[in-house]
Amino acid sequence: MSKYYDIDDILVEEEYVPVLFHKRANGVTIDPSAETNCAEQGSKVEVPFWLAHELQLRQAVSINLPACFDQKTRLEVQADAAYVDLRSRCPYFYEFGCKLEPLVTDRTLGILLSTAFKIRYKEALTKVYTAAHITASKYLSFLTKEETNLYEAAHLSSTAFKKWKTCGRRLERASILGRKRKDSN
Amino acid sequence: MYGRKGYQLLKDFASGEKGQLKPFNSKLFDETIEECDQNHHLMQSLMRKMQQEDLDVQNSRNADHYGALIHHLSLMRNKRCLMAYVYNRAEIVRDLAWRVGLELLDLPSEIQEKLTSLEKEYFKNHSVTLKSYMGKVGIELNVDMVPPKDPYIKVRILDDIDEGIVLSDKTTNFARHSMHFLKRTDAEPYIARGQMEELTD
Repeated sequence: MSKYYDIDDILVEEEYVPVLFHKRANGVTIDPSAETNCAEQGSKVEVPFWLAHELQLRQAVSINLPACFDQKTRLEVQADAAYVDLRSRCPYFYEFGCKLEPLVTDRTLGILLSTAFKIRYKEALTKVYTAAHITASKYLSFLTKEETNLYEAAHLSSTAFKKWKTCGRRLERASILGRKRKDSN
Repeated sequence: MYGRKGYQLLKDFASGEKGQLKPFNSKLFDETIEECDQNHHLMQSLMRKMQQEDLDVQNSRNADHYGALIHHLSLMRNKRCLMAYVYNRAEIVRDLAWRVGLELLDLPSEIQEKLTSLEKEYFKNHSVTLKSYMGKVGIELNVDMVPPKDPYIKVRILDDIDEGIVLSDKTTNFARHSMHFLKRTDAEPYIARGQMEELTD
């Protein structure tokens, strides 16, 4: 339960998954296509992951694979994993996939995640050292949240190293105070 | 409905820079609590309906049960979002005490505006605890961990600081843009607040 307060964990679980209801549920408006105030047995609805997970535990629904892991993405990853725009598919591609993996029947999800990650991680680290921050901005817009964190960590460590090499200032304004606003007077 | 407001609250929190505070979003906070009340109300009415049909509320698994379950889960989800919001803000407040200064009035005013009165209270109590601990242990724990090569450093003043500051070895007036040769430990808190900068040449 150490992730209870973790913001990223909460945001990952908000991603929508398609579910198939096995049991009818009264008095809820989660199915926008239903005429009555309930979710009918056998209806297909998109619900957030946290809800789908709990309902599957109680055998009220079954989870299907969401669109971001579909055949089109798989083919693109096979072709050139490093430049696939995963952020537009799902900003938490890997975390979401990891959470879904034990719950869906598709056994190839894990392999998809690990191959994509291996290739993209290597590309991201190379970019930190070879490309200037400005030119890499288009590339950065393809990265998922997890990859962006890794990229930024690598960037921070390389700038810290350069600073140490040139004996930069040790005492700095506390980063928690944010960027300094330029004084007008 | 169904955890949406809690999610929006956390998105608002996450949209700020990492490790930075935004002003406390009391509007969304209250809306989330209202959504929780709605879920609770609907859940109660479904359970009452089950009781009226003489069903065992704990064990029977009919459509009303699943409806009440969904409302219950949404409520728990909103609760989690609210708790995470307050918890993460408290973490940043504690960080402020360590990195910037233990006095509330030393914090820049833009930061002070973003804190609620409860968070300011939390900051004060945390500072008091830290100070008493450091006093008992006898070491100042919130200074730079690396022993410096030179106990004195050259600094330039960036902001207006009050006159007649008493340092460990002298009393000086800090005029803006003036340069001074200070003891490292004295200059540290001012540099952390952005009122001075170290000169290396």
